[in-house]
Amino acid sequence: MTATPPLLSANGVVKRYGSLTALDGVSLDIAPGEFFGLLGPNGAGKSTFMSLVAGFRPLDGGTLTVAGESVSGSASARTALGLVPQHIALYVDLTAETNLRIFGELYGLRGKELRERIDQALEAVQLADRRADVVKTFSGGMQRRLNLAAALLHRPKLLLCDEPTVGVDPQSRNAIFDLLQELNRGGLTVIYSTHYMEEATRLCSKIGIIDHGKILAQGSIDELLDQLPFEEEIRFPASDATNVLLAQLGGHGDVETVDGVHRFRPKGGYPMSSFYLLTESHSLPQKLFTSQRPSLEALFLQLTGRTLRE
Amino acid sequence: MNSIIVLLRKDFSILLKDRASIMLTFCVPFVLIYLFGQIYHVNSSDPGPSGIPVAVVNQSDNPAAERLVNALKEESAFKILTKYVNDDKTTRPLTEDDLRPMMARDDFRFALVIPKDLIRTDHIGLHLRTYTNPRNEIESQTFNGILQKTIFSRVPQLIGESLQARARSYLGDVKLDEFNTNMAHTIATTWGGDEETIKRHMSEGQLRILNGDLNAANTTAAGTERSSDALSQIVKIENTQVAGVGLKSPMATMLVGGWAMQFLLFALTASATALFREKEHGIFQRVLAAPVSRGDILWSKFLYGICLGLIQLIILFFAGHVLYGIEIGAQLPLLVLVCVFAAAACTSFGMLIAAIAPTPESARGISTFVILLMCAVGGAWFPVSFMPDFIQRFSRLTLVYWSMEGFSQVLWSHDTLLQLLPTLGYLTLITGIVMAFSVWRFRKGRLFD
Repeated sequence: MTATPPLLSANGVVKRYGSLTALDGVSLDIAPGEFFGLLGPNGAGKSTFMSLVAGFRPLDGGTLTVAGESVSGSASARTALGLVPQHIALYVDLTAETNLRIFGELYGLRGKELRERIDQALEAVQLADRRADVVKTFSGGMQRRLNLAAALLHRPKLLLCDEPTVGVDPQSRNAIFDLLQELNRGGLTVIYSTHYMEEATRLCSKIGIIDHGKILAQGSIDELLDQLPFEEEIRFPASDATNVLLAQLGGHGDVETVDGVHRFRPKGGYPMSSFYLLTESHSLPQKLFTSQRPSLEALFLQLTGRTLRE
Repeated sequence: MNSIIVLLRKDFSILLKDRASIMLTFCVPFVLIYLFGQIYHVNSSDPGPSGIPVAVVNQSDNPAAERLVNALKEESAFKILTKYVNDDKTTRPLTEDDLRPMMARDDFRFALVIPKDLIRTDHIGLHLRTYTNPRNEIESQTFNGILQKTIFSRVPQLIGESLQARARSYLGDVKLDEFNTNMAHTIATTWGGDEETIKRHMSEGQLRILNGDLNAANTTAAGTERSSDALSQIVKIENTQVAGVGLKSPMATMLVGGWAMQFLLFALTASATALFREKEHGIFQRVLAAPVSRGDILWSKFLYGICLGLIQLIILFFAGHVLYGIEIGAQLPLLVLVCVFAAAACTSFGMLIAAIAPTPESARGISTFVILLMCAVGGAWFPVSFMPDFIQRFSRLTLVYWSMEGFSQVLWSHDTLLQLLPTLGYLTLITGIVMAFSVWRFRKGRLFD
């Protein structure tokens, strides 16, 4: 049985801006139909990677192919992908329909086919009734949805979403998520960059954690969390009584306090029965303690020593 | 090419949605051309200034002084004020003492005093005093020039009277009368004419005899035959115009091209700096992610500039045609050709500004300075021949100069395409050099990052 070749393949990709190395030997493969999340804090190199894949910046090292073709200078590679930029990259003085017509025509769409694609795209982002309105009259969420629609007209194989929900209201964010998941179920490969762990967890089948231009880890969420030296995280509120408990837990795992909540991640081999015996000895009620699977935030902390928002 | 056309259409779509830009690009220049035309008296039979308020105080009893006042009143360049209006609306003749306070109130900036000794006996010429409060040197020179022109062309006999008065003082009445009698006799004997009439005219200071016009029918009342007086024609210049002969509106033909170039440069620079706005909106990222190159974006902007410039120039020349009767007719194809080359050169300038300026604000500052400099040096405001040699040499490096030259060749000299080719060549050279540098800067710069 032959393995499916990756739709996107990055091998040792390097990008520098003067003395700053924005991407430092990034290597990853993204299979067709995957929903790949690029998770990292601001300045990690996510947008730079997107711009290299989109082909409007040259690589300083390594190779980058989409559907087997180098992205730089390849018209067919560019036609294979759609970009949802971080900015609202629209002509705000023109109508929604005119915007889509312009971007569709840039991909060579014409006539009836273009009109049908515009209709479908506007329906998909629930803006069909606003097609004749000037974009600058739209809310931020509507503009974001149109920003997404403009990248879908030519039916790309690979959709690059560069933090597409920045500044979006929850309703529009959910609409965008639903649409992306539906498109992904239909076979569209998506690369989604974000610094929100929740977005990556909700949407992505595979995640690459990036920081300082390097991919620190990649895989499915389970594969990533398996890299953690603990399997669960116990949270309990900070108080005088629990502070005493916390002091006794330090030698058995990682402890951290975030927003008035203590987090205890036991070392491998530390029996949870010992933990609960300890809580009973302090007469702390069981309802104070919640146990949950660790998050990608914990993994990022484990990998970098920093939180995603630092 | 397909992408270029799509982007070109996009730019026109945006322009058509932007009423303010349309107004600034097309309507405002139309209005300004009308206003400039009025300021410069384009198409007026007398294209000079008119209605300059001049106060005149006549202190002389000499009838010649009254003739001078009347002659000044006939001069359209002046609006002659001789009365002082009291608070009760009654009037009285102006006095010399009235002048300073009235000039301080800016009732007028020029005043002429005709003193009692308008025609003096101790020297030849008229004695006049002026009071001025000019706002600039041109205004002062204009006043003096028109005053002298009025005296020489409308009342030249005053100079003759001055000659007679000086001669009377020097020779005495008897000898002057003898001199005039002998001169009249000699003239009448030599060239014909009535001896008594000739003598009377000599006594009145009229020098028509020197003009050889001795037709008795023309020798009537003094002051009514200005053209026959020799003093009004002391310098006779025969002018042969070698180009622009028969044009309905020669002044507008010369001026409109300069104004049009100035508007065009501002419009096209603003258009090119729209590249900054597209960068800020992240549109380049989306466009460049499509099968579109940076070159496509730049060439679409260049073509858009040429189209926009061509339309604007044609509209402005059409405005010149409608408002001032500039003759385009048969020259239209060549005019369009020059407009295309001028628009291309202006667009390349706009692209250069966008390429070298780091921000839209700095682009606006740089372009305003350079446009005004090029228009001044290139001849859009006043003739290049007025300028020092080194500036004249520098002006030939500007696109404004060669564009103006092209318009002039087409509309003024009615040159052929062959004669026009060198000018178009210079414009092409300027466009090519500026565009090449701009594209190089765009590639090196961070506009598309």
